[in-house]
Amino acid sequence: MIAELVGRLRQGDRNALARLVSHAARGEHLTELQRALTPSLTPARVVAVTGSGGVGKSSLIGKLISVLRSQNHRVAVLACDPQSPLSGGALLGDRFRMGSTTDDGVFIRSLAALTGHGAVADHLDVVIRLCEKFGFDVVILETVGSGQGDVEVRNLADVVVLLVQPESGDDVQWEKAGILECADVVVVHKADLPTAEQTAAQVRAALDLSPGRDVPVLRVSTKANQGHAELWQAIVALPLRRRQPSPACMLMQSLSDILSAQFREKESAPELAKLAEAWQRGEITEAEAVEKLVRILLMHQPDEPEA
Amino acid sequence: MDQPVRIVLAKVGLDGHDRGIKVVARALRDAGMHVIYAGLWQTPEAVVRAVADEDADWLGLSLLSGAHMTLVPRVLDLMKQACLGHVGVIVGGIIPEADISKLTGLGVAKIFGPGTSLEDIVAFLKSPREPVP
Repeated sequence: MIAELVGRLRQGDRNALARLVSHAARGEHLTELQRALTPSLTPARVVAVTGSGGVGKSSLIGKLISVLRSQNHRVAVLACDPQSPLSGGALLGDRFRMGSTTDDGVFIRSLAALTGHGAVADHLDVVIRLCEKFGFDVVILETVGSGQGDVEVRNLADVVVLLVQPESGDDVQWEKAGILECADVVVVHKADLPTAEQTAAQVRAALDLSPGRDVPVLRVSTKANQGHAELWQAIVALPLRRRQPSPACMLMQSLSDILSAQFREKESAPELAKLAEAWQRGEITEAEAVEKLVRILLMHQPDEPEA
Repeated sequence: MDQPVRIVLAKVGLDGHDRGIKVVARALRDAGMHVIYAGLWQTPEAVVRAVADEDADWLGLSLLSGAHMTLVPRVLDLMKQACLGHVGVIVGGIIPEADISKLTGLGVAKIFGPGTSLEDIVAFLKSPREPVP
């Protein structure tokens, strides 16, 4: 089924792309997907847009899409919004701020991010590769917020754009760990507000204390429709950081997927319970138990009688 | 495995009354669904594109403008053209009695008028789907 969908995706079938993204986001058929998605020869530029809620990420992306389309880029936007840890529900409300579109060169997909998962949806790496395979040369990731999540997104993106807004705290705010450290470009959004220049100056001053990093600070106003083309120029001026994972790294990922799948299948098998008990009683060390666990997961078929 | 229901909620046309659709969005979210809120003033074309790209199970349209006999058939038609016949369509808002059977005849799964309880909408979306004719 996955092979058929990937075949349709290669032929430009959007519905196949949408369905494959659903599978990937739910962690289904990951091994098959990884196998079908050979590394792309023309990797997309992956741009993460992050910043706290209400700073204007979706609206800015909406304008950025227009800039990119005027330069004939094909754009996929993956918008992550939080999923409730209580109900599992999510209100994915980013796409309506990006402007309604029927343009074939634009794909907007909303994804739910579990809390505690680094503010990005699961298996986003696979989703990005699906978009690349379909022919999108720019992939924009919109993430829930800044802070710890930015670290996760930094591994997925070539460029991290951090949005801040005027009146968002004094100069000590910018010294906090994680806020500015991860950004490759800082945007002072809502730059039509009177204190935007002051905020930009504070951010520049904080960045100047980290020698060796040359992070552009730009003022952008989506309301006044100013600064989006300049933002894109600043983004393309940066090198593509994201590297294809090494083959060994890809094997490791695949091992971890196989182990997880096998564990789900054999979780209630009596031999696993026996092993866990032996470890809990202290009869075997944790390292020994883990080694046996891996052996059970990889070698034994649950239906086969023990030799 | 039980996957959360994915539903696109949208208002088509020039109708600006979005109180109801927002209340429904909130209720479906709290019932564990993934609600993609597409918002006001959408064209039928943009709504259908959203349903396609979001790989939604359902589309919920809200209309209080009286334009439902123009806009809803247009959406249904575009859905068929986009090979989205598997997506169920529900409609909420002010739909006169006489139009309800016309719309369900065209393929709308259910129409929720004024006074509908949120529990009824949740129960309907969570019940097993009838096969698409």
